[in-house]
Amino acid sequence: MTALTQVQAAAPRPKSRRAGRATPWFFLAPFLVAFVAFFVAPVGYAIYLSLFIKKRSGFGPAREVFGGLANYVRAFQDSDFLQSLAHILIFGLLQIPLMLILATALALVLDAVKGSASRFFRTAFYLPYTVPSVIAGLLWGYLYSKNLSPFNQITGLQTDFLSSQIVLASIGNIITWTWTGYNMITLYAALQNVPTDIYEAARIDGASNWQLTRYVKLPLLRPTLTLTAIFSIIGTMQIFSEPFVLRPLGYVPDNITPNTYLYLTVARDGNFGYGAALAVLLAVFTLLMSGFFLRYAAGEGDS
Amino acid sequence: MLRRDSFSAVQWLLLAIFTVYCLLPLWWVVTTMFKDNGQLFSTFGLWFSSPSHFSDNLNALFTRDSGIFSRWLLNSVIYAGATALGSMMVSAMAGYAFSKFDFAGKRAIFTTILATIMVPSTALALPIFLLMQKTGLLNTYWAVILPGLVNPFGLYLMRLFWDAGFPKELMEAARIDGAREGTIFWNLGMPLVRGGLVTVGLFAFVGAWNNFFLPLVVVNRSELFPLTLGLSVWNQTSASSGREPIYTVIVLGSLISILPLVIAFLSLGRYWQGGLASGAVKG
Repeated sequence: MTALTQVQAAAPRPKSRRAGRATPWFFLAPFLVAFVAFFVAPVGYAIYLSLFIKKRSGFGPAREVFGGLANYVRAFQDSDFLQSLAHILIFGLLQIPLMLILATALALVLDAVKGSASRFFRTAFYLPYTVPSVIAGLLWGYLYSKNLSPFNQITGLQTDFLSSQIVLASIGNIITWTWTGYNMITLYAALQNVPTDIYEAARIDGASNWQLTRYVKLPLLRPTLTLTAIFSIIGTMQIFSEPFVLRPLGYVPDNITPNTYLYLTVARDGNFGYGAALAVLLAVFTLLMSGFFLRYAAGEGDS
Repeated sequence: MLRRDSFSAVQWLLLAIFTVYCLLPLWWVVTTMFKDNGQLFSTFGLWFSSPSHFSDNLNALFTRDSGIFSRWLLNSVIYAGATALGSMMVSAMAGYAFSKFDFAGKRAIFTTILATIMVPSTALALPIFLLMQKTGLLNTYWAVILPGLVNPFGLYLMRLFWDAGFPKELMEAARIDGAREGTIFWNLGMPLVRGGLVTVGLFAFVGAWNNFFLPLVVVNRSELFPLTLGLSVWNQTSASSGREPIYTVIVLGSLISILPLVIAFLSLGRYWQGGLASGAVKG
């Protein structure tokens, strides 16, 4: 973190204005107000809400009554929810490493390409990121459709990319298509920021291309890779749009991701207390996953 | 041991394959927008077919459901534009406070705000929906715009730009000359962090333009839909309503919804790369 300001301590001159104690708060106010209204309050409200359960007595309408941790107990017994977590865990363990390895390889290769060719490739790789995830889901949904998929037209097969067995992989492909270029540009930018004399020093020491990549560039990419991995974990836990728009086009189970399950459950039952509990659990799991990864990544760095 | 030129061939192959992978779906969009539904199923997907139905698709796109597509387009521009401008302003002010002032709890507040990046925004959508229901914000433009103003990455980026772009000596000199704090920030400081403002605005614009979950939850009147939500609803009803499917019309609509972002990125390329680079050095 940068050094904190000490300028205010400078001796004041008679005519000069000085910033009052309230000045920083004036500049902070808009952000803090929005932060409290659209982050702190919703989080607090979700936790509060998650403690209430719907209760039906006789034939009367359901009432919300305090239920303690009942919703959380229910969540851990809800096999559909647990399955959605399993889906996303498998997804993350396969898709994130695959995407980041590909992005790293592409960034390292592009780092050696100069001039307009490099510009062309960077633009081409980045274009998918500019496609909104809903639109990406729609387009790939059509490309997956059994009757009009160009892949089936070319190969003569009748693969149903939206069948329940492989729909998770099909979603993985959409995410990979959208985000690999984005991650690659981040890694590429990190490589470009490295002062060239580090490379020259390695060259003078007689390092080969491979050695330069393995022992100089990859370690330098480490912090950026950690960052992209964290953002990928957070993004993976939130996957919603792609499976949601694929639903009308094929067979996509409601609990394909925790988020689709949360949304569809609340939309169907209107049980906000249970929905809030699922939302809180999802946030906690995301924090745990990120924390676990950070500890793992940092721990490995020490050895 | 690999010889240098053979390794180079492998590298070029990797680049070529990935280029095809990235561009092929977009190429399919370009060929498909000239087809009608019959051609979509009967002709080869990656090439054009005649006769062209481009104008029919364009016509259907802008007249279906009494021309609501133009309204969605306008809504997306409003949502993304307002979020970008608001986010620039709010992040610039807060970043300025963190960069140039000392105050109680500074470090704790900054860390807390940055840590919230880890909380999935979709986990917030449900309580935001309920709170907006209570406050009457539901089904208004504000419901989609206001939550986007909380932009921790924008705040972080603006703080970096204020640190690097606006020396404290300049502030002190202005104070000695009797300038007001607001004048120092707005007239003296803001022009010096223009690059940061464009970067934050660009990312906020893209985020808001692509947003789907928040509008899905907080607006349910189709006049308030952004493009993403509108096209998704069309896709849903097209598959199930018994009306004739309009796949190629949706594909053309998708292309139109992508174009503004492509143009923004191509024309403002150096800003987003700068933004990603500063994200990269953060770790």
